[in-house]
Amino acid sequence: MEQNSNLKVDFAGLTLASPVITASGTCGYADELAEFMDVSRLGAITTKSISLEPRKGNPTPRIVETNSGMLNAIGLANMGLQRFQDEIIPVLQSLDTKIFVNLAGKTIDEYVKVAQTLAHSDAIDGFELNISCPNVKKGGITFGTDPKLIKEITSAVKDVCLSKPLMVKLTPTVTDISMTAAAAVEAGADALSLVNTFTAMVIDVQKRKPVLANRTGGLSGPAIKPIAVYLVNKVYNEVARDAGIPILGMGGIRTVSDALEFIIAGATAVGIGTATFVYPDTTKNIIDGLATYCKNEGISNITELIGCLE
Amino acid sequence: MENEKAVNKGIFEAEVLSNQQIRQCYYRLNLQFDAKGSRLFENVAPGQFSELDLSNVSLPETSMIPIHLRDTSAKQILLRRPFSFSDIVVSPLTEGCCVKAEILYCVLGPATVRMMSLKCDDRISVLGPLGKGFMVPDGLKQAILVAGGMGSPPVLHLANHLKQHHPDCEVIAFVGAKSIESFPFTVRIGNAKNLVLEEFERIGIPSHIATDDGSAGYHGFVTDNVRHWLENNPVDPASSAVFACGPEPMLAGTARVAKDFNLPCQVSMERMMACGIGLCQSCAVEVKKNSDTEYQLCCKNGPVFNAEDVVFEEE
Repeated sequence: MEQNSNLKVDFAGLTLASPVITASGTCGYADELAEFMDVSRLGAITTKSISLEPRKGNPTPRIVETNSGMLNAIGLANMGLQRFQDEIIPVLQSLDTKIFVNLAGKTIDEYVKVAQTLAHSDAIDGFELNISCPNVKKGGITFGTDPKLIKEITSAVKDVCLSKPLMVKLTPTVTDISMTAAAAVEAGADALSLVNTFTAMVIDVQKRKPVLANRTGGLSGPAIKPIAVYLVNKVYNEVARDAGIPILGMGGIRTVSDALEFIIAGATAVGIGTATFVYPDTTKNIIDGLATYCKNEGISNITELIGCLE
Repeated sequence: MENEKAVNKGIFEAEVLSNQQIRQCYYRLNLQFDAKGSRLFENVAPGQFSELDLSNVSLPETSMIPIHLRDTSAKQILLRRPFSFSDIVVSPLTEGCCVKAEILYCVLGPATVRMMSLKCDDRISVLGPLGKGFMVPDGLKQAILVAGGMGSPPVLHLANHLKQHHPDCEVIAFVGAKSIESFPFTVRIGNAKNLVLEEFERIGIPSHIATDDGSAGYHGFVTDNVRHWLENNPVDPASSAVFACGPEPMLAGTARVAKDFNLPCQVSMERMMACGIGLCQSCAVEVKKNSDTEYQLCCKNGPVFNAEDVVFEEE
């Protein structure tokens, strides 16, 4: 096992092997990824969303490619809490990396029940609260755009997380992301992850209908990266730095320099998503590249770079 | 951590051996896999597929791009594109790079337009082999292959496989297309209205042609042609099976015919997909489960499914 001591970071009380984390919904339950890389080099894996009851997800087409990006409307397809406990937790237990479970639900009570149950599992190191999914009618983004609801749901879930850190995933589809970030922090969030996808649409001009069965989807990929870097920097400056809350920055990261931009902008860790769909070993290449960058630049630990933007 | 699970797919490079136009928008791409790819593909099953990274392939000269695709082909490529194979040849005497693969493709969008410009010695990144292919049951005596339009390549792969590995199995192919112009094969015109598909003829498999417009062979859907044939040529359900790939309504029709004749039927499905390895969850196929249905993934649980399990999307 190869580890890079210069990449070790503290993230909301967890020691991560590297600041590179797989984004929710883009790495399955990591078993697929293990065929392409040594998952112990990852800082953490974020599972796809888990809801109390199983969800079939949306009809197809669920994705469409755009210039330098893609829209998805999967609809939080997942096996539900019970099967997750029975079938997936044993798999996660065998992985030598930290595990964040992404929580989804239609009501606050559903989020709480899932968190409460999983908080007792040793296989799980923390939670990511998904209040920013643009592709479901109830829950998801409806929580994430209202600071009052964000406070309510964050504190309710935080109460049942025991000692496990709670990260709140923010949507970029708001007027001022610092307001939603501040609401999460005030309610007890241990970390923030941003950004989720941007609500978007692609139209088939022959049929004059949206391409996606769900009509709209979430835009991800390189197309959103500059906006995501800006929003991470804004939240870092206006909320996270003074509160001492780490940011998991993400949005279109594909290369080593993409990841560095987010860290320089203020992220403690970076999430890799869409790029994994094209090269499943993207995270490995970014980890290698970050280690090389630190070595070449004479940086003893990558945390020196966090928020160093001039 | 050592990965204990046997690695059965990977990312590797393929070298272009040739890239030839068959007719109109149909092309044949021949690839030589590198040593890693050859190892991974040695025991590939017909119907398994791959994902090609075409993002670095440049657009051909504007004059080469079909007029109706000039506007949309300017779009950049981000995601890989899934392709099945029409043949995989393993040369047992060659060490290392022993696998050659053939892909038939139709130019219909920004990625396949770029593929037109691939030339000998170009290298592309391949992810594979992916998914579950056709399963040849033990004791199979008669295989009825049904192919529609651009769904034909994996059926040809299966035909090649059966000829090589199951020489006792009788194979018959039914191939349908919109018109005489739209078969993705090398077509030879024999007797009046009679088309010969050379790819099947070469391996001694009789092919029955159907065209929607009657421009060649049976006038009508390939599924109706299969039904007529089965009505006149009884087969033993215990030792026969139907294998199909093509547009979804054609697969649904094939499944109905197979059911009416009590024949087991496997269908290869198609969905828009990003990753091809079960990560993105985009390629959902609705499958019957108990009294309800669930979504399975075309890339991982398929693309070949038992026809009786699938809830087909028919327009």
